[in-house]
Amino acid sequence: MLFVELVVQGLVYGCMYAMMAVGLTLVYGLLRILHIAHAGVFALGAYMTVTVANATGSLALGFLVATVVSAIAGIAIYRLAYQPILHHAAFVPMVVSIGLFIVMQEAFRLIFGAYGIAFDKNPWYVAHVNLVGINLTYVEIAMVIMSVVLLVGFGLFAGLTRAGIGWRATVTDPHMATSFGVDPVRVRYVNFLFGSALAGIAGGLVGLLNNYVEPTMGGAVSYKALAIVVLGGLGSVRGTLIASLVLGVVEAFGAIYLANIFDRDAIGFLFLIVVLMVRPQGLLGRG
Amino acid sequence: MKKSVIAATLAAALLFAGSASAQIKIGFHAPQSGPAAADGKSSTIGAEIARDWINEKGGVLGQKIELVIYDDQNKPDQAVPIANKLIGQDKAVAAVSGSYSAPTRAAAAVFQQVHIPYVSAYGVHPDITKEGNWAFRGVQLGPPQGKGAAKFIADKFGKVKVAMVTMNNDFGQSIAEGFKEEAPKLGLTIVKEYTFGLGERQFGPIVASVKADNPDVVYAIGYYFVGGPLVAQLRAGGLKQPIIGAQAFDSMKLMEIAKDAAEGVYIVGGMDRGRKTPADFQPYLAEFKKRAGYDAEAVSANCYSSVMLVADAIKRAGSTDPAKIREALAATKDFPMLTGPLHYFNSVGEIYSPLEVTQVKNGAFVGVTVVDDPSILAPPK
Repeated sequence: MLFVELVVQGLVYGCMYAMMAVGLTLVYGLLRILHIAHAGVFALGAYMTVTVANATGSLALGFLVATVVSAIAGIAIYRLAYQPILHHAAFVPMVVSIGLFIVMQEAFRLIFGAYGIAFDKNPWYVAHVNLVGINLTYVEIAMVIMSVVLLVGFGLFAGLTRAGIGWRATVTDPHMATSFGVDPVRVRYVNFLFGSALAGIAGGLVGLLNNYVEPTMGGAVSYKALAIVVLGGLGSVRGTLIASLVLGVVEAFGAIYLANIFDRDAIGFLFLIVVLMVRPQGLLGRG
Repeated sequence: MKKSVIAATLAAALLFAGSASAQIKIGFHAPQSGPAAADGKSSTIGAEIARDWINEKGGVLGQKIELVIYDDQNKPDQAVPIANKLIGQDKAVAAVSGSYSAPTRAAAAVFQQVHIPYVSAYGVHPDITKEGNWAFRGVQLGPPQGKGAAKFIADKFGKVKVAMVTMNNDFGQSIAEGFKEEAPKLGLTIVKEYTFGLGERQFGPIVASVKADNPDVVYAIGYYFVGGPLVAQLRAGGLKQPIIGAQAFDSMKLMEIAKDAAEGVYIVGGMDRGRKTPADFQPYLAEFKKRAGYDAEAVSANCYSSVMLVADAIKRAGSTDPAKIREALAATKDFPMLTGPLHYFNSVGEIYSPLEVTQVKNGAFVGVTVVDDPSILAPPK
């Protein structure tokens, strides 16, 4: 029974990681940038959700604002921070990204205070349903539903719509796509818009799950999402989704059976090292 | 015109600086930026209230107290140059740490070398006072806190089965050590110990496993920002057993985060907010709230009391000579700390003070009992 429960908990965490990591993978696939500041957008989404929800009493409005602001922030990061330095070596945008992430963390601390903020009203946080002996809170259920809906929606967009096909073509071969009339800059904007909105929503949900939004909340997620992206095979969306779920489950078991040696955050990296020793190209990466 | 204003300001500043040098300087460092900034802010406000109240009453030895405050970012490599600056540049006669264990340990070594008395307001790592006889601690060490928790649980619930959930840093490990030593002696059974990192906020797997263990009580050692989510998730997971938390659960944020789930949680080493003693306790709570905009927690009270303690030692020493201040500190008897009376310091500068146990009732910390058993709480030498 404990076994099943740990798998379920792991999958819930996996859904959370997936919403974060997909945005990172998309950026890497398109621009070959390791977008660390993505975790800053995640925390921004959490702050928008909690401040708007506490001010207006409407959680839905909180999420709406978080989605819009995160999407705008993502686009702004691309336009103002990455676009001017795209012609430099790959480490240059990465250093910029790390710097940006640190600036964002300290900005949250200055603007919203060093103490974290809790939701005034968070009825879903302790309320739970009991599915065949396994307790899941409403927030956990919302996390799973939200990630499935958004990621399936994205899959349909990429597979069925004209814009989606153009986007995939740009990832595969930017020059060929351009010569077929796809505007690569627009693709990048769509990319940052979607990935950042997803991270912002994930941030809001994690804020609800912990009932605590704090300046450093992006920290653990930033390097974990990075590990997932590498684990999944850099730039592979499908690999990232699988890696997210696998890491979630590995962590859930690790938290019980390995925690006296490693904490949960270290377990993910241990797993990453082991997988990369066997499959250097990642789970679904092309060798 | 503009130039004359600047000149006048400069002159005033110089005058002010001149008069300031006649004050008694006490060094203070706390993490004011970085991840530990929240506790650093509270501890700094606590220390400043002590300074202001001492000065309002005419200061010490006829001189005003000046706190020289630095931000150590909770980093040992920042604490060392800060200690050197406090000694060489600022000429502090004593110092107080409003910081965590790691920077405090690093600074303690520096103060020891040059023989400046140093009080760790709430850093619990044993090594801080092991640097030598110039370091004192204003809070119980981890192991006695853990032993006190075992005593409370055995007295209150009998010979029960306990699941431990411990944070894997200096703070958590040292408390857990004392608990694990004392618990078997009192007939408690530890069914399992789970550990987690400082950054952990999601305890789903641990909750599932604790539920399978089915203990009689859960003993959780961690800070309020992990305690809040942990308590809520234990309750959401369907656990109804009593939860006993460690000292660092003591923050109003615990209730903000855990909401109703915090009700009934016990805190060993907490602070009973309704207490009428010592006389400055209730005024302190009111003053802190006014300055900070939020309610005081034990960390800030520890810093307030540590500054008060140093000022009291200077008064008793009748001198600003660091050696005499150290002697006076070591001879402290029954000093009224806000967190409970400081009965004495042992030979290595460890405090003996009873542990207050509080419980969350209707969103407030209410006193339940006091663990005051020298055979358990006496500081290790």
